[in-house]
Amino acid sequence: MLALIKKDLLLMKNNLKLIGIMLIIFFFMAMQGTYDLAFLPVMICIMIFMSTFSYDEYNKWDAYAITMPNGRKNIVKSKYIATLILVGISIIITLVLNITIGYINKNLDLEQIISIMSGYLLAIIIIESILYPIIFKFGIEKGRIGLFIAVFGIVSIISGLSKVLNVETPINFINFIEKYWFIIIPIIAIIFLIISYKISERIYLKKEF
Amino acid sequence: MKNIIEVSNLIKKYDSNFQLGKIDIEIPSGCIIGLIGENGAGKTTFIKSLLNIISIGNAKIKIFGKDINKYESEIKEEIGVVLDNMFFPEILTTADVNTIMKEAYKKWDEDLFYKYLEDFSIPKNQKIKILSKGMRKKLEIATALSHKPKLLILDEPTSGLDPVVRNEILDIFMNFIQDEEHSIILSTHITSDLEHIADKIIFIDNGKIVFDKYRDELLDNYGILKCDLDKFENIQKEDIVRYKKNKYNYEILVENKTKMIKKYKDYIIDKITIDELMVLIIKGEEI
Repeated sequence: MLALIKKDLLLMKNNLKLIGIMLIIFFFMAMQGTYDLAFLPVMICIMIFMSTFSYDEYNKWDAYAITMPNGRKNIVKSKYIATLILVGISIIITLVLNITIGYINKNLDLEQIISIMSGYLLAIIIIESILYPIIFKFGIEKGRIGLFIAVFGIVSIISGLSKVLNVETPINFINFIEKYWFIIIPIIAIIFLIISYKISERIYLKKEF
Repeated sequence: MKNIIEVSNLIKKYDSNFQLGKIDIEIPSGCIIGLIGENGAGKTTFIKSLLNIISIGNAKIKIFGKDINKYESEIKEEIGVVLDNMFFPEILTTADVNTIMKEAYKKWDEDLFYKYLEDFSIPKNQKIKILSKGMRKKLEIATALSHKPKLLILDEPTSGLDPVVRNEILDIFMNFIQDEEHSIILSTHITSDLEHIADKIIFIDNGKIVFDKYRDELLDNYGILKCDLDKFENIQKEDIVRYKKNKYNYEILVENKTKMIKKYKDYIIDKITIDELMVLIIKGEEI
């Protein structure tokens, strides 16, 4: 399985230049206070991950990978693990950048940065959890459409629900989340990941190339 | 002789009305098996089902005497493959292939891989997409050989390549097969390649195996009888396996060539090539 994870990481390496340039631009924008850096990992992760799927599909890598001893389950597993590694790295980079900027501008609020970043971390994991089974089932082209559905779907369902039900989010609830976010976020993320992984695995075991 | 592959009850249906099988076949080890047939006859489908790239339903497939459903990864350690247009993402480099395969196969031999690259004059750290078509094929073959497999499964390894490169590649296969434990299954529609190297030929047409015979037996047994239009009537119907009417003559596929040469002394019975045999069987008419 290590082979497959390495393959994805090597594929990602090809985007390094682009990411470097992006980071520099965003870094200066954030310095001016015109851009919120915290959103960066979401963009980077999704962009890079979609690209590894495209590269795979273009050269029909999957069929080739199946001829290797690793087995189909590990092909799916390695995609998820490589994603988590990527998410981890991009979160760390963004944190470092944010702290640097806060330090330079002398308005460092570590707690706020971390809580915002955790929110984005959850967002990435939810988006990718929805996206991956779609890509495994229908391929990357439809996966791109899936991305829109995933992002806009989540946003509109949440805002729609709150309008229809006319609920004003109870203060208690917000307090509860604010107090325990460091437990709640990982739990939700892990649940999403596990469900997503199980669905992807079932799809992939039956898939023909 | 042991069997390297045993397939029974393989049936594969597609929505497009194409059906492979039912295929039951035993493939002996230690030889080069040529898989021939038209485009779309089912060669690739057959190969894909051996490798579990497509599901095989109720079929039973054994490779090295082991069930592929039970011992998949163990079996695949010993198989090297070259598939048609399926390989590493082309933005990776030749060095990346080594980095990845090192982890994929227990027996991956880094030195051997780089030796092959050197022999084939493939750059050691070059993006795959920059390589020419022939180089790319050679890289695929080098990759397939570098974990020292016992069985090579090759889907159209020589198609689209010039004769020089094709010969080089066939030489590699001939070298590989020197070891008695090694076997090759190779699909191609360039049948002239097989006339030089294949020990056995499996002919698939329209999803079914038409014949599965040793090459020499095949080429000795079948012959091609050519006669003028007016003499066609003199040939006994039971001797005609297939026939094709040309503008000025008939081409008739006959079996049991030596007997036929004695029987039809006034006719010319030529040696047949695998190409002609394939065309006559697919396009020729039966009586």
